[in-house]
Amino acid sequence: MDVDISRKTYVEDIDRGIYDIRNEFKYSYKVEKGLTEKIVREISEKKNEPEWMTEFRLKSLEIYNKLDVPVWGPNIDELDIENIVTYVKPRTDMKYSWEDVPEDIKETFTRLGIPEAEHKSLAGVGAQYDSEVVYHNLKDYLAMKGVIYTDMETAVREYEDIIKKHFMTVVPPSDHKFAALHGAVWSGGSFVYIPEGVHVDIPLQSYFRLNAPGAGQFEHTLIIVEKGAFLHFIEGCSAPKYSVNNLHAGCVELIVKEGARLRYSTIENWSKNMYNLNTKRAVVEKDGTIEWVSGSFGSKVSMLYPMSILKGERARAEFTGITFAGNGQHLDTGAKVVHTAPYTTSSINTKSISKDGGVAVYRGALVITENAHHSKSTVSCESLMLDNKSRSDTIPVMDIRNDEVDIGHEAKIGRISDEAIFYLMSRGISEEEAKAMIVRGFVEPIAKELPLEYAVEMNNLIKLELEGTIG
Amino acid sequence: MIVIKDELNSLPIKTYRWLNVNHLKLDERIEKDRKPFCKRFFEEMDDDNISIGSINNIVTINQHLSRINNEKQEYGVSGKMVDMAENFNNAGVYAYIKKGADIEKPIRIEYGMDRENDVVIDNNIIVASENSRATIVVDYCTLDDIDAFHNGAMKIYAKPGAAVTVIKIQRMNDNSNHFDSNIAVVEDGAEVNFIQVEFGSKRAVTNYISNLKDGGKSAIYSIYIGNRDRELDLSYYMNHIGRRSISNIEVKGALKDRAKKVFKGTIDFKLGSSKSEGREGESVIIFDKTVKSKAVPLLLCTEDDVKGEHAASSGKIDEDKLFYIMSRGFSKEEAMKLIVEASFNPVIDRIPLEDLRDIVRDELARKLIVEERI
Repeated sequence: MDVDISRKTYVEDIDRGIYDIRNEFKYSYKVEKGLTEKIVREISEKKNEPEWMTEFRLKSLEIYNKLDVPVWGPNIDELDIENIVTYVKPRTDMKYSWEDVPEDIKETFTRLGIPEAEHKSLAGVGAQYDSEVVYHNLKDYLAMKGVIYTDMETAVREYEDIIKKHFMTVVPPSDHKFAALHGAVWSGGSFVYIPEGVHVDIPLQSYFRLNAPGAGQFEHTLIIVEKGAFLHFIEGCSAPKYSVNNLHAGCVELIVKEGARLRYSTIENWSKNMYNLNTKRAVVEKDGTIEWVSGSFGSKVSMLYPMSILKGERARAEFTGITFAGNGQHLDTGAKVVHTAPYTTSSINTKSISKDGGVAVYRGALVITENAHHSKSTVSCESLMLDNKSRSDTIPVMDIRNDEVDIGHEAKIGRISDEAIFYLMSRGISEEEAKAMIVRGFVEPIAKELPLEYAVEMNNLIKLELEGTIG
Repeated sequence: MIVIKDELNSLPIKTYRWLNVNHLKLDERIEKDRKPFCKRFFEEMDDDNISIGSINNIVTINQHLSRINNEKQEYGVSGKMVDMAENFNNAGVYAYIKKGADIEKPIRIEYGMDRENDVVIDNNIIVASENSRATIVVDYCTLDDIDAFHNGAMKIYAKPGAAVTVIKIQRMNDNSNHFDSNIAVVEDGAEVNFIQVEFGSKRAVTNYISNLKDGGKSAIYSIYIGNRDRELDLSYYMNHIGRRSISNIEVKGALKDRAKKVFKGTIDFKLGSSKSEGREGESVIIFDKTVKSKAVPLLLCTEDDVKGEHAASSGKIDEDKLFYIMSRGFSKEEAMKLIVEASFNPVIDRIPLEDLRDIVRDELARKLIVEERI
């Protein structure tokens, strides 16, 4: 058998098929390009918002103008906010039944499998098209228990007190430039409230679709899980590819109260003209748990580092992430954990694959404060390089200010080992199948954390096409 | 007056600003003047295979330097600090080891700072010709109760097949400043090992780079103690340029009181460094909840056929071990010292001179037991 085992495995680009089907760009209203006080006021006015929210937006705009862009991370020079339309209202109001959603928009979500998933396995669904939510629904039995699941605009009107109390307190606009931008022009997103002790047995899902070219999407998600409650929330994102750059600067704020548990799963599959500068943060109180599952596949540039603040004793954070960077992509992802209370634990587990000139970066931060005695943390990052045109960096930082801690960190980088392939081949497995097995094995720990439909989707996404000789 | 207004030990790739690890920002005026260092600081070698002299003997150096390929590369704590050491120095050693020579006796350099000589700005150049072998031991210490200033640079050229071991011991007193920049050019099949003992000074900022060509090998074994209000900023960079190059960074430390430490370790696999392997590990024993310990272990990679690994751990001293030793009649401080010493011993044992090994062990005991009792 004459086999050159040092030949490169070729892993096919993620098949974007359905994601790239773009609809004709129709809208009922949009603001001009760029960012001015006039535009911010216009958005607020169109949404018929209370005075405090208009003020909040203007204050954020002020902060936005003061802050500089990050001096670290991927190059975002090409992103010109003056050329981004910050608000595009689709030609429909929010509907509670798919029947009422305009045909082309409904078609888009049907192709993405949303109504079908809702019918089969979800407790509620929100669907956003460009800047506004076009569909929102929650199963009746959950509404009866006091569960609230609605779009942010409705929430600002109907649950004003809760929103006013929590809106952008977990992620303040002063956090960084794009958080400030978000505060100024946010639109759409979901508000979820799970009352004390309520266990939501099947997941809720919000899907964000950006169809307009040269536009930005700035949805805001606020989830409050009260004492002892449980929720699994799924977020999906996609957009068709245009030749102009799009921007996504969403914000996710999660509040996990005493003894509560929240699982937050995301599959980002933006098109490769998208700048995905997203901010996600959870505050976890005593005995609470936050579990992040994060898959980053799309976008041109991503800067995404979900942060967990463990504020109460024995609070826990778990982060499981996978990043797949192909040609033309610079995916700078990772996780941040801040332990501020005693007996808190965190565990971060990430995998990244880079191929065909893609850049995959793990960027992390782990902070243990003076107060967080008896905290434990483990971090594990693994990177797989599929060729030498690509790049893979690991940039973790640990900041430890306590003696009673147990911290372990490890990272590995490399390619598919020849020995492993050779071993499998010696057991009668073909070279192609051996390589495929190894890559599947590499992502398996992450895939099993995903909801079934997503795991299947991911396996389809990472299809192996192998070059090489057959002995 | 020495003015340091600079960003030191910058990370090769920047990250979040709120963590304050991208660089160490200093804006300080040190009430010192650059003046001659009027002491002997190196031993003559009675060996034809090596020529050693003071860096100020420009003629000899230029003669020799014309023979080596002097690649310009930025290195060190910062451009300005290296510039000070290279061009405004008051001390430094130039050593040239002939082809194939095996210099068994370590080359010994000692910068002992005293009341008259409290400023050392040194520029050291070591050239190890093809297939030669040598060990250099440098000791920075304060002899009087002064506030000394040290800023140094060392360039190590290991020609193909050469093997160089550099041991740097820093045990200056708690009023002193210590800045140290090192670069090694490790040519085909050469090997440079760097052993560092950072036990002293109020502030220690050190930087080490190895440029590894085909088959080049480099290892760093570093131990440090931070106690009282001392600050350490330690940066290491393994630059894999050639194929089949191998690197290893092993750093061990102990932190007490209000000490602050930043460890930056980078393994960089450049395109073309296929079949290379790099490893780095840092472990810290933390004694008090008032210490601040930061670690940034970077792994950068543009080559697929490599193996890179890093691991870091920090935690409290092992209670069971402590209890066991104390049950044998040792005090708590002594027991702690024994545990730290056990972890540092593999590095201390690499120091080839017995008197220096003893000095280092005494210093360790002083930091962990005597100063504890003052």
